[in-house]
Amino acid sequence: MTRLTSSVSALSLVVALGAMVGAAGITPAAANDKLVELSKSTDNWPMTGKNYNANNYSEAKEITKENVKQLRPAWSFSTGVLSGHEGTPLVIGNRMYVHTSFPNITYALDLDDPGHIVWMHKPKQPATARAVACCDVVNRGLAYWPGDGKVPALILKTQLDGNVVALNAETGEEYWKVENSDIKVGSTLTIAPYVVKDEVIIGSSGAELGVRGYVTAYDVKTGEQKWRRYATGSDEDIGIGDDFNKDNPQYGQKGLGLSTWEGDAWKIGGGTNWGWYAYDPDTNLIYYGSGNPAPWNETMRPGDNKWTMTIWGRDVDTGMAKFGYQKTPHDEWDYAGVNVMMLSEQKDRTGKLRKLLTHPDRNGIVYTLDRTNGDLVSADKIDDTVNWVKQVDLKTGLPQRDPEFGTRMDHKGRDICPSAMGYHNQGHDSYDPTRQTFFMGVNHICMDWEPFMLPYRAGQFFVGATLNMYPGPKGDRQNYLGLGQVKAYDAINNKFKWEVMERFAAWGGTLATAGGVMFYGTLDGFIKARDSDTGELLWKFKLPSGVIGHPMTFTHNGTQYVAILYGVGGWAGVGLVFDLNDPTAGLGAVGAFKNLQHYTQMGGGVMVFSLDGKGPYSDPNVGEYSTKVIRAAN
Amino acid sequence: MTTSISRLLPISTALALAGVVGFAALAPALAYDGTNCRAPGNCWEPKPGFPAVIAGSKFDPKHDPKELAKQSESIRGMEERNAQRVANFKKTGKWEYDVKKIAD
Repeated sequence: MTRLTSSVSALSLVVALGAMVGAAGITPAAANDKLVELSKSTDNWPMTGKNYNANNYSEAKEITKENVKQLRPAWSFSTGVLSGHEGTPLVIGNRMYVHTSFPNITYALDLDDPGHIVWMHKPKQPATARAVACCDVVNRGLAYWPGDGKVPALILKTQLDGNVVALNAETGEEYWKVENSDIKVGSTLTIAPYVVKDEVIIGSSGAELGVRGYVTAYDVKTGEQKWRRYATGSDEDIGIGDDFNKDNPQYGQKGLGLSTWEGDAWKIGGGTNWGWYAYDPDTNLIYYGSGNPAPWNETMRPGDNKWTMTIWGRDVDTGMAKFGYQKTPHDEWDYAGVNVMMLSEQKDRTGKLRKLLTHPDRNGIVYTLDRTNGDLVSADKIDDTVNWVKQVDLKTGLPQRDPEFGTRMDHKGRDICPSAMGYHNQGHDSYDPTRQTFFMGVNHICMDWEPFMLPYRAGQFFVGATLNMYPGPKGDRQNYLGLGQVKAYDAINNKFKWEVMERFAAWGGTLATAGGVMFYGTLDGFIKARDSDTGELLWKFKLPSGVIGHPMTFTHNGTQYVAILYGVGGWAGVGLVFDLNDPTAGLGAVGAFKNLQHYTQMGGGVMVFSLDGKGPYSDPNVGEYSTKVIRAAN
Repeated sequence: MTTSISRLLPISTALALAGVVGFAALAPALAYDGTNCRAPGNCWEPKPGFPAVIAGSKFDPKHDPKELAKQSESIRGMEERNAQRVANFKKTGKWEYDVKKIAD
């Protein structure tokens, strides 16, 4: 690039680039560019994963290994909502935008005086939405679209009742609102919206009620639907064209969305996507995973059940799939494949620089793919106790299952690892590009599984399995402790640099920083900081409630802050949220986490830390109603 | 893969192998490990003692077609209402969620 600019005049380069854009028929993506610029600054956290690479990595480095022990609360905010708080707040400029679980309140806070709520959006939703939510009434966050001069900057949100709402980012007023999912047929929304160019991408939830999953793109300026693609059904519905999987035909190509199902089972076959997205402006592909097939009882749905459980690379303009790799064909364990996709550029073992996608899956395998075409680069067990699969063939992509840990009618499968919660669930992990290391919050839970038959009724639960869950082999099975791990992973050399057990789980994910410190929250309510290189525990703080979201960091007025949502709940904490005691309740979560109640209770909010607690209220006069003190005369 | 095998073997041998492959695809798996594929991306096999097709078996869920149709009917309705809202927004510059309040 340096050579090019030195050989031509600046003006001619601009003209030439303009001609290229015109010839290629590509519209300059202004909103995209703004979001990319915003995400580069340590001042902002403009999307759930910090940037389009979804790496939860910040260049901020005021907080270091040496001084992290000086972190103290700078300020906090209660959301007033008790159930589980997943995801993380957004920060753009001097605003923090905070979301909550149902009733899906959105708050805008002023970073210069966060004690004053700038605006609040509290939608009215039918209470019946709660009844069809799978696993607590969570929500994973917000999206930001920066505006274009004609349309104001917008905050995009999803509601449990299935609506997608665009709010004026300055005022909180509703700009548009559309129906995406219908709770009458069991379809809800928990996913964080995802903005690319002038589109907002929305997933779907409800596979535990037999919902056929889909992903939809809306015009962010008008709410108009641009495209909708399904996980099952015809090639047209799924968005499969002639070049689908052209570099990996062994993954399967045409017709499989129907032919790998018996009869019309694909119509109620699940494959919803409620996890996280990533985007690469070079490939113009969005990346995400479709979830588990429905019902959980595998005997009721013969076939590979394409294209549930699939890592997708879709053209963001058309929704057409360039590649799809099904990780768990014919799932038998609810290893819903929706987890985070983190993008990196790394040299493979041959020294070739590649554009990679790394995905720690529920099934206990962490996959790395070439994100330009779907080539499988590595597939490593997240823990050596994974037992349903012996290995994954990197050429065919097929997992070689161990039949001993398969499930079927008239059989109780025992000690299957991972459990349905996966060795990794919805937590949004991080990647430190300077260390080429992924930091993963990992579950360590196994299960017994016994299927049963049930009819499909739209809007009713359609699971068909009874589960008992308990700590994995490395945990304390007598006392139901040791249910989680945190690991530092090298995807190229297929090794874990360090790992540590946790009492419960680091359910919400991790944050990586240029200061050489990584952060995460635990279900029992701690935020912890570890040395990114060694895993050494450097600092921790007890939060008011357990954590199921991921920490984030931002700088404001020259000070680096670390923020985290707290509020126990989600699938792991569903026993606390709904006061359940039967160990098989909550799809088996209640038994696994029966001791969580002795460590934390519900209550949601945001806690913000800085070195020595420096912040807006370091000057005690900030935010005061009056600074004039009237003293009594002597 | 099949192409390369057929190029290397006599036709009679290739046909015999094809027969074996075909039989294997139809017979119940001794142990389902997911690696015996009928076609790329189509590798499921019934487990020992279970039918290849559940319709008519004791595992037949006997789905009600009316129930199965409800999701697509619901989505069609939502898409139609959203289209009305968007058209009205483009026309008036004001968002109206309640489609009953949108004039034809």
